[in-house]
Amino acid sequence: MNRPTRVPFCWPLLRSWFFRTLPVWLVIALAIFLMQIAVCGIIHDNQSVKSFLKVLDMFPSVVKIALGGNTLQVGNTPGLIAIGYQHPFILFLLMLFAVGVPTGLLAGEVQRGTMELILSRPVTKLHVYLCAGFLTLTGMFALVFVMFLGTVAAVSIYEFSDPVPLDLFFRIAINGGLLASAAGAVALLSAAYFKGRNMAVGVTAGFLMVNYFTSVISQLWPRMAFLIRLTLFNYVSAPKLWRGWPHEDMMVLATVLVVAAVTGAIVWQRRDLPL
Amino acid sequence: MKPLEITSLTKRYGSTVGVEDVTFAIEPGEIFGYLGPNGSGKTTTIRCIMGLLRPTRGRVHVLGRRVRTGWATEHARIGYLPGDVRFWKWPRGRRTLSLLASLGGDGRAQKRRGELAERLDLDLSRRVGDLSKGNRQKVGILYAFQHEPEVLVLDEPTSGLDPLLRQIVLDLIRETAEAGAAVLLSSHDLSEVSAICSRAGILREGRLVELAPISEIVQQGRRRLRVWFKDGMLAPPMSIDQLPGVELIQRRPGLIDLAYHGSADAVLKWIAQFPVDRIVTPQTSLEEAFMQYYRLGDETAAPEPEDHAAETKGGAA
Repeated sequence: MNRPTRVPFCWPLLRSWFFRTLPVWLVIALAIFLMQIAVCGIIHDNQSVKSFLKVLDMFPSVVKIALGGNTLQVGNTPGLIAIGYQHPFILFLLMLFAVGVPTGLLAGEVQRGTMELILSRPVTKLHVYLCAGFLTLTGMFALVFVMFLGTVAAVSIYEFSDPVPLDLFFRIAINGGLLASAAGAVALLSAAYFKGRNMAVGVTAGFLMVNYFTSVISQLWPRMAFLIRLTLFNYVSAPKLWRGWPHEDMMVLATVLVVAAVTGAIVWQRRDLPL
Repeated sequence: MKPLEITSLTKRYGSTVGVEDVTFAIEPGEIFGYLGPNGSGKTTTIRCIMGLLRPTRGRVHVLGRRVRTGWATEHARIGYLPGDVRFWKWPRGRRTLSLLASLGGDGRAQKRRGELAERLDLDLSRRVGDLSKGNRQKVGILYAFQHEPEVLVLDEPTSGLDPLLRQIVLDLIRETAEAGAAVLLSSHDLSEVSAICSRAGILREGRLVELAPISEIVQQGRRRLRVWFKDGMLAPPMSIDQLPGVELIQRRPGLIDLAYHGSADAVLKWIAQFPVDRIVTPQTSLEEAFMQYYRLGDETAAPEPEDHAAETKGGAA
């Protein structure tokens, strides 16, 4: 019998996993899209917002940071729209996808016992990892693109007194996409290493929480300011994005992404499928 | 070229031995029984064959190619049924099997799948999560057979099936072997192994303690004799213990159960002293032989396969 010994790439697996993650992606994308329109809708009523900001200014910085970071202090229209990109709820949604998808696809299939079936067909472990990685990273970039589209749609719906520089928001989206993809790559590494999905999710969520709170603490506590460089969130900086493409920050995030993804591939390839 | 060759396979998990220095090969058209209790290393061996575990030492060749862990070596030509087969719960049986077939780019599986589903009386339109354990096992059997494999690796294929279906599955295995496929059948059910396998290997604590044709293995087991005495008389006082190689299994009024090695001559002569109603010789089973390896192993180290083969030949002579 003359049969192919191995398929060149596992498109059927990619297609199957794509349709499995699509509902989650659509829900998150819709929430992000609507959030951008809602933020622009609120900001559109500028006088009320400025009054609100004056009230907010009286609150301690910890409250302001929790509500959207330093962008709140910018006070102009683009700065306010950027709240929709840095708001903790948006970060939570992005991280939900970044953590949930790779751990669900790799560690989830292992835990369910179905990975044994997949790997007993002419599908290599590398194929499986690449499928999970591809869906995670393209999914993340697609989400930040939807976020940008939300802003574009909102700008066409509402009229703003100040011009809205869409190129700035495109830069923020790309930079944010790199941050979320780096988090996704860390989740991939975790999913490749751990046997159970819960462990993989827990470790990745812990890593991101530590990063986030380190970022918050280093902004609030001057003596801890040196820690800011150690957090992933430091590399999406509104002031730098305002000035242009933050190449150095993007390189740092891209390096984290590549190192985590490649290490995950090596770990996944070398580990035994758990009994 | 042998379809499946395992050479000095060793797999350790830290200090724990999974399998140790296992060597055997399977010929085309052969059904090879792979026996051993839980934890003896059967699944470890199978997962090394499938490239799911990285051997500590040794080699596995499938259809002439050396298995590389994680590289799906010749998987398009292997049918595999895991011991505890688990599927996604939501998709229907047909969709699940179609996806798994498509992973191998195998477009011919659809026709075969329909035939097999009919033969096993399996409704593929139901969600796999809604199926009973037996029906899920049938889905697993379809998964292993649907792409007409040249090597079949089956871990407890009849687990959870009723006797009728068990027979159908055994027929299926036999037919596949007759078509030229090499079959590795791991099973706890020794009666089914002795029914369809031509040769078997017995694992004990990760080591292959026997590798021989089933007929030879069975001969190494004790033979059984059950004797009813006339009028339900009490079984005679047992001087039988003095007969070499004879063991009393049970004694009840009018009945004794014996086990013996080698020739029945001395036992029969002893029985002939008493009024006998009837004698039954329960078929010496693979189970007897199998249990013997474990009794032996508890007393001393298990003998090497070569030693057993020599003993058997000597005994026959």
